[in-house]
Amino acid sequence: MRNFITRRVLQLIPLFVGISFITFWLLTLQGDPFHQLLLNPHIKAEDVARLMHQWNWDKPFLVRYFYWVKEFVTSTFVPSHGNGWGFSILAPGQTARALILQKIPMTLTLGISALVFAFVIALPIGIYSAIRQYSIGDYIGTFFAFFGMSMPAFWFGLMLLLLFGLKLGWLPIGGMHTDLLTVNGSQVDFYAAPWIMQFADRAKHLILPVVVLSLMDVGSWMRYVRSSMLEVIRQDYIRTARAKGAPERTILFKHALRNAMTPIITLIGLSLPSLLAGAMITEQVYSLDGMGRLTIQAVLGNDIFVGMAIVMMDAILVMSGSLLADILYAVVDPRIRYS
Amino acid sequence: MADEMNKNVTMPEPSSLEPMNDEFLQSTTTQSASMWSAVFRRLRRNKMAIAGLVIVILVVLMAVLAKPLSMGNDPYHMLNVNEAPVEIGRPELMPPMRSHPLGTDELARDAWSRLLYGARVSLFIGIVASFLCIVIGTIVGLISGYFGGWVDIVVMRFTDMMLCIPSLVLMVILSAILKGGVFQLILVIVTFGWMSSARLVRGQVLSLKEQEYVESARAIGASGWRIMFNHLLPNTMAPIIVSFSMSISGTIIHEASLSFLGLGIPQPIPSWGNMLTNSQNYMFSAPWLIWWPGLAIFVTVLGFNFLGDGLRDALDPRLKL
Repeated sequence: MRNFITRRVLQLIPLFVGISFITFWLLTLQGDPFHQLLLNPHIKAEDVARLMHQWNWDKPFLVRYFYWVKEFVTSTFVPSHGNGWGFSILAPGQTARALILQKIPMTLTLGISALVFAFVIALPIGIYSAIRQYSIGDYIGTFFAFFGMSMPAFWFGLMLLLLFGLKLGWLPIGGMHTDLLTVNGSQVDFYAAPWIMQFADRAKHLILPVVVLSLMDVGSWMRYVRSSMLEVIRQDYIRTARAKGAPERTILFKHALRNAMTPIITLIGLSLPSLLAGAMITEQVYSLDGMGRLTIQAVLGNDIFVGMAIVMMDAILVMSGSLLADILYAVVDPRIRYS
Repeated sequence: MADEMNKNVTMPEPSSLEPMNDEFLQSTTTQSASMWSAVFRRLRRNKMAIAGLVIVILVVLMAVLAKPLSMGNDPYHMLNVNEAPVEIGRPELMPPMRSHPLGTDELARDAWSRLLYGARVSLFIGIVASFLCIVIGTIVGLISGYFGGWVDIVVMRFTDMMLCIPSLVLMVILSAILKGGVFQLILVIVTFGWMSSARLVRGQVLSLKEQEYVESARAIGASGWRIMFNHLLPNTMAPIIVSFSMSISGTIIHEASLSFLGLGIPQPIPSWGNMLTNSQNYMFSAPWLIWWPGLAIFVTVLGFNFLGDGLRDALDPRLKL
């Protein structure tokens, strides 16, 4: 097991190099990021030249790339020696890391809530669909699964906004929280309100984004849980368990579900990073200020260090997601051994 | 990454030992023409698949018959003030009426004809981009699986790397560099979309190449390319067709998402994605504009998903896609 993990972690290194090189190359193809600074009337040309020299941008492409790798690795492993993954072109004076740390709590809250929500919905419905195959409930579940998989997320988001935000007025139409809350009949600044009201207000703002973000996962997970359960409950050991008179509940949850969980765990591990991609769309729809928006701004605004840091963080998330899935696989299913 | 797992975790699947049903046996022993008729027979019994097929046919008809269906409206023509009814008084953002069933957009163009011509663009992108993804993925998968050894290692490491790239972010970068247009968008989608079919085909080839018919083909001196394209490729067709149908729906959604982020098909070419994006700004004053393109995307994608799901069940129920 330890050998397996070591080997897999070592394999990540060439992947990291490849991904970062391609991204770095593509981002510089967009144009010279330092040239953009010259357009800003408040920044002097010699300052730009100094910055270019400081960040080794006056050197050839490959050398630049090498310095970027060096900076990224030092900032990641020895933060005190690094320069915070580079500086932001769009927000001069801020480091990439500072920008990301500002935005990430929002996206994490959104992503984790969506993940939990998707799991809580998909698992019971998937199981029900499998044990009552071809029942009306199964057909309804299947229809909803396909509904979720086929719905363009942002359009659905906008439609929900029209319905619940505008027509019915039940939910806010965007933003992370209301500026003024009503406490005991008087208007109070959001941060001065009691925490329970802050929490309730934030939760209210998160409902629609979470529903939209989890929609796609709910659909495909439901299908996976269903097909994985269907395969398991046809096995001989389930028949044996029935024959020896084990209660149905034990059969379902102890014998069947545990075995059906293995592929589902992989799926969840692999879908972690897609939440960030989903957040790019969801945050845009609900004007939430998180990683998704930062990504789009950085990438389109040619903010090279911020863009690189985000892409690399995301790539590392993908890589560790699949590694984690493989490890959990072995934990859940003792038949699996990695040699 | 995941292939290493498969190698180490292979367990005999009980279902593969079960006798196949008559129909399946019949379909594999006789000529391929009857295999397809058996597939179609099974497909016909699946209500969802038929619904999907009907939707897909209707959407294709919509795209093909865009001109006659658009009732003389030109998707690029901006109406003049005197072409608008007096009681509305402006040609832009007109609500639905008899001559313009879905109203007009912010530039006074007929929304119904744009929806029809948009079907052409969106379907074209969906089908062509998915087809290219599948072709590239199949070739890569065949070569990687058949030759094995260092070729396999190099090719699969590259595929893994591409899979680890956060593709939506890189798609945004690439489409910003290439700056709009139907073919540029297809290029962007294909660049980040061929990997899953490569993995799929490779997995199939790995198990197929151990079979006797491949060995006998090799024994009579068939070349590697001949074995790959004449013997292995036809046998991997089932999963390829299923993933093609599923990937069309994915591509249509990608086009819409990229449009939403401002990087899809540029104006004035109508596509469902950019119609949605534009009408978003008039969501409150002209909500009817945002309804139809979104609904069109949803229904089309649903159709392809239904069809793909039904095809999978009809071609090989054990297939996991």
